[in-house]
Amino acid sequence: MKKILSLVVIAALLCIAGASSVATAQDVALTLWVYDDGRLEVLNALGDQFEAEYGVALTVEVVDLSEIRNIMTLGAASGEGPDMIIIPHDNLGPLVENGSAAPIDLGDKVDFFLPNAIDGFTYDGQLYGLPLAVENIGFFRNTDLVPEAPTTWAEVAEVGAALFDEGAIDSVIGFPDLTYNAYPVYTSFGGYIFGRDETGSFTVDDIGMNNAGMVAGLTWIESLIEDGLVSENIDWEASHVLFETGRSAFIMTGPWAINRFDTAGVPYAISAFPAAEEGGEPGYPFLGVQGLVVNANKDNVLLAQLFAVDFLATEDNYQAIFDAEPRPSAWASIFESASDPNTAGFNEAGVNAVPMPSIPAMGYVWDAWVNAGALVAQGELTPQEALDSAVEQILAQVEG
Amino acid sequence: MRHINTQLSRYGYILNLGVMGVLLAGILRVVFQLYADGLYPLASALSAITVFLALVYLRRRFTPLRWFAIGVGLAMLFTLYPILYTFYLSVTNMGSGHLMTKQQAIDRLESQLYMPEGGKTYGWAAFRSPDEAYALWLLPEEGPGLLARPGQPLEEAMPGEDGIGAPDQDGIPLTIDGYERLAQNQVVPIISALGAIDFGEPPDTVRIRSLREAVTLKPKYQYDPDRDVMVDQETGTVYRPVEGTFTSDDGETLTPGYIVYVGLHHFERFLGNERFREPLIKIFLWNVSFAFASVFLSFAVGLVVTLLFEGLPGSRVIRALLIIPWPIPVLVSILIWRSMLNPDLGFVAPLLESLFGSSPAWFQNAMWTRVAVILVNVWLSYPYFYVISAGAIRSIPHEIYDAAVVDGASAWGKFQHITLPLLLRILMPLLIASFTFNFNNFNVIYIFNFGLPPMPNTIVPMGQTDILISFVYRLAFITSNVTDYGLAAAITVMLFLLISLMVVFQARFTNLFREAD
Repeated sequence: MKKILSLVVIAALLCIAGASSVATAQDVALTLWVYDDGRLEVLNALGDQFEAEYGVALTVEVVDLSEIRNIMTLGAASGEGPDMIIIPHDNLGPLVENGSAAPIDLGDKVDFFLPNAIDGFTYDGQLYGLPLAVENIGFFRNTDLVPEAPTTWAEVAEVGAALFDEGAIDSVIGFPDLTYNAYPVYTSFGGYIFGRDETGSFTVDDIGMNNAGMVAGLTWIESLIEDGLVSENIDWEASHVLFETGRSAFIMTGPWAINRFDTAGVPYAISAFPAAEEGGEPGYPFLGVQGLVVNANKDNVLLAQLFAVDFLATEDNYQAIFDAEPRPSAWASIFESASDPNTAGFNEAGVNAVPMPSIPAMGYVWDAWVNAGALVAQGELTPQEALDSAVEQILAQVEG
Repeated sequence: MRHINTQLSRYGYILNLGVMGVLLAGILRVVFQLYADGLYPLASALSAITVFLALVYLRRRFTPLRWFAIGVGLAMLFTLYPILYTFYLSVTNMGSGHLMTKQQAIDRLESQLYMPEGGKTYGWAAFRSPDEAYALWLLPEEGPGLLARPGQPLEEAMPGEDGIGAPDQDGIPLTIDGYERLAQNQVVPIISALGAIDFGEPPDTVRIRSLREAVTLKPKYQYDPDRDVMVDQETGTVYRPVEGTFTSDDGETLTPGYIVYVGLHHFERFLGNERFREPLIKIFLWNVSFAFASVFLSFAVGLVVTLLFEGLPGSRVIRALLIIPWPIPVLVSILIWRSMLNPDLGFVAPLLESLFGSSPAWFQNAMWTRVAVILVNVWLSYPYFYVISAGAIRSIPHEIYDAAVVDGASAWGKFQHITLPLLLRILMPLLIASFTFNFNNFNVIYIFNFGLPPMPNTIVPMGQTDILISFVYRLAFITSNVTDYGLAAAITVMLFLLISLMVVFQARFTNLFREAD
């Protein structure tokens, strides 16, 4: 009796083991990691559609961006991670440098996309991602205080100083930081972080961080602080609170602030950034591009590329993604048809936006840049000294 | 009796052997896996620990060691190994772009393909035989279709002839003898496997590149182990290994790179630079002062509070209120302090301005930021000292105070000669532990002001309120997309040596205290 029982058990176990091994051999599925959950639903719906059409299931998971980054670089050698990820493009450089991003060949479809979105996911002349959405900051003004958008920074200071003297405001313009959110000030004077080489890639060999334009931009900010028109305390939260309570006439910030400004009920409008001088080129912000990257370390590269290029990249799918979460689409016709005034304002502000450099050296820029701004705000160093020192810090770390 | 005993121990030995056997087999399995993944240091460490355990449990001579062998083994694995591994990393270039072993990087490069001159692009359809062999029907841009099978030359074939079925509207045969045509939804699930197959006879092989295209592809790079160089098969360029990256004579580099030994490079890079050394010493001094001031002031405040409220009416309520900072999560307390001190939004600035006419720059001025950080830390930790000193005071025998009163001691005298020395004796270990904790109190420093304001003219970003741990964290990990593990390890090693010195001093200090008893 016992013997028979054990035989039965063993036979059953073998069957289960055998069955499951057959099942795994047939089970091809794609995994996709996203770092925010805004698009989870629509991506799941698109995954079902993909399965119906092509017979392959798609699993979408929300994973912390830093975790995605770690798995895609440290786990590269052992082939860990999902088949595809959605990331902001400035994370691309290290993935390419570690051989973790597979090229994407969009063929003729490339013409449907915004050129600067494609530019964002291009590294060393090769496209490594399918751009989904773009994002840039805009120039906000309180329309009660300033009905007409100023066209030069000098005008911003002048209009603001008048309001300040009347006691209408406590701060002329909000700078959430003196780096990313203040970048258009620098660019309008001709500043930039990294220049491009002949292939169009950003390069450490051309570093603009202490050029005359950057210094001029920082000098303008310094003059506001010295005149007491802007607090020396450069603080994200404070700058937003001052604007939403009507105590600040301008702020430079992104789409994430829309909700809180609407809730606070402050009357605002978003427009293009001012220029350095009358008739000059307006300042341009960094462009952030979100896109889908195929993990080169997995066995399913071809399948994932097929999902991205042959399935996902259609106007209908992009429209569905845009409808689920209205961020400016990387699909040019959808981007252009956005009609609400906020989106139009951001688009106007970002019309010449340049993708944030994604080369690994960019990682060294932020801390050095933050420090340069702080040292100038505190009056410890002049803009030129502070930016020279920042460049030195970046190069010291790049050269390793 | 004696007989039974030996027998028992023999059974015991066999049991021991069996259990150890199973355990060792399990560990060996893990070790092999680690080797296969290229984690040699970890595999070696685990092997060494396993040998140690096996010796201890199988050799009778080492029986006394059994009591702590497991503990020692775990300590080696989780304490000693990470330290040694950090030392190892500090002399390598491991970091973004250099995360693989050389062999892994070579495999990666050798798997890259290119389309040679005269290579062709085809449309394709896949066919499968019952024994899972695949064939492709290739459609060139012009000319007749081709039948491609792995290892065989491409055959020109006409649909409708030689066992090849009639064509559909794209010119692809509906059937091929011995093969079944795969529909799109059959192809897609296996496309990655199909894409790994070379169709046709080398060197003219065709691979699937996308759902629509199959192209002539060849390996782009080949590694020459004799010369230790990577050769570009397309251009003939020779790439030599330079510091863990294959580099051509023109300075072109191939990614990914691999991990190599770089010696003391990281140490020289910074220790050799006085604009690194001097600020580092500043950080170290501030770190010690911060820890010392935090412990001293928290203890002092806690003690004063204890003495003030001891035996007062309603002291229970007061005590409950005083402990409030304790149960609030540290993160929340620090953020509340941060917003209270905010010059634009907080209430502290207007208050001080109305009282004194000006308010300090809590986040910009180095000295005031330091004051603020210590203030916040004291607020966070005084309830702890309050509670323990309130407890400890009760353990001081009352007779001593009675005797002191008889001798005519004042209140201050009692405190100075009885309470304080006796309390210190009881609380010294806690004070030292607290000092060690505050020495690495990352939370307060980093959440309050990220170690800022910055120090001017340093070679890497450093903050005026940075302590060693927050400085390393910012340098090695905060930069969002750069990870330089070699450098971080080198700095960690330097800090390890500094802190080891501290620990030795502390040990001395505690010993002295004991001798004084």
